[in-house]
Amino acid sequence: MIRPRGPCVEEVMNALLDHARSAMPTGAPPARRGTVVTHLMEDEAVPDGDELAGLIRKVAQDRDRQAYARLYSYFAPRVNAFLRRSGLPANTAQEVAQEAMLNVWRKASYFDPARAGASTWIFTIARNQRIDHLRRARVASSAEGEVPVEDEPAPSGETLLLAAEREASVRAALKALSDEQALVVRLAFFGDKAHSEIARELGLPLGTVKSRVRLALGRLRALLEAQS
Amino acid sequence: MTIHHHATDETLMRYAAGDLDAGPARVVAVHLAGCPACSARLAQFEAVGGAVLEQMEPVPMAPDAFAAALGIIEAEEAGRAAPRKPAAARSSSGRAPSLLPGGIPIPAPLADCEFGPWRWIGIGVRASAVRLPEDPEARLTLLRVGPGRKLPEHGHVGTEFTQVLVGSFSDGYGRYLPGDLSEMGHEIEHQPIVDPEGECICLAALEGGMRLTGFFGRLIQPFIKL
Repeated sequence: MIRPRGPCVEEVMNALLDHARSAMPTGAPPARRGTVVTHLMEDEAVPDGDELAGLIRKVAQDRDRQAYARLYSYFAPRVNAFLRRSGLPANTAQEVAQEAMLNVWRKASYFDPARAGASTWIFTIARNQRIDHLRRARVASSAEGEVPVEDEPAPSGETLLLAAEREASVRAALKALSDEQALVVRLAFFGDKAHSEIARELGLPLGTVKSRVRLALGRLRALLEAQS
Repeated sequence: MTIHHHATDETLMRYAAGDLDAGPARVVAVHLAGCPACSARLAQFEAVGGAVLEQMEPVPMAPDAFAAALGIIEAEEAGRAAPRKPAAARSSSGRAPSLLPGGIPIPAPLADCEFGPWRWIGIGVRASAVRLPEDPEARLTLLRVGPGRKLPEHGHVGTEFTQVLVGSFSDGYGRYLPGDLSEMGHEIEHQPIVDPEGECICLAALEGGMRLTGFFGRLIQPFIKL
């Protein structure tokens, strides 16, 4: 699916291909199919939501390394980008992204497509990993090593829309926002640091940026409610 | 339980983005645990997060990152065959089971917290400091305020999040019953009064900087290492 301002499919594919190639020493023999996966495959296309969900299921049920390789090549660079944008230094972003992707493997059996789409589920894993990292950094004396991050509050199933419906309505609402508002919503997800950076870049007071965030969220809410 | 006062979109968006401080995040978690409407709205914001993630311009990982991940996974898979040692039971020694009167349980999202003793803060007002394992510096407080107690008007630097657990209070913006969440922005001066029917217990956290001269600041001052 092509979305406003998102990279076009071709760009994404090129990036993936570049990445896959860079993961492989020049002149290395191609990956042996169906055997041990040692690096990313070269011929991947951009998967859609159902396909991504299917890959997570394969990881959960069959511990499928090929499926994991595809998930990794799609999500790791995006999680990395997200973490960078949220203010983590390059090395840290990559470490946290790596840990998030390991959690995708470890927690795959908890993925429930009726509750969240694949990207949404992985987003929450990356988010929790970032929270975990920031708190670890603060709690320097953490001898336990494992800092708990609260689990998602259990949603009462009957009141939640089916995930697929929700994903579709959220995407439609994001598309219906003006370019500026869609940008503001995206930036809002990168956190406070991003707010102040935007404020500086645009030469706007921080308060103005925040009130634009509020306006954009109000519009998003109106769009979501109009659909339901 | 009908909930009349909900989390704002901004708060849910920030919760979804992982951008709320630990204290306010716990208050919101307690609200979410009892509020299907806010849980559904949170799910929408998390879906926005999923869409944002998909739209990120990929930043390549190091060339050997995937091989490293596989190495860790294979080692862990090999270890899975071996019997796992049981996870150590989490200590709950600091937890006071009688903290909430009437056998009302501590809300599940606070299960891993430690609660300080009730301390006298002012006439008819007691407070218990809640210590979060993930952030010992987080300012999260249980407040227990007597019936009809009028609290001085106050403002604060950041947003104040208050979730009612027991009883009720009212301010210029309405009446807050168990399950309700009050979010008071820094621009707001409000004067909460506990309703006369009984005492009110709520969970409160203040975001951002502090103004210690304010009511809430004075309340939590005893718990802060200055």
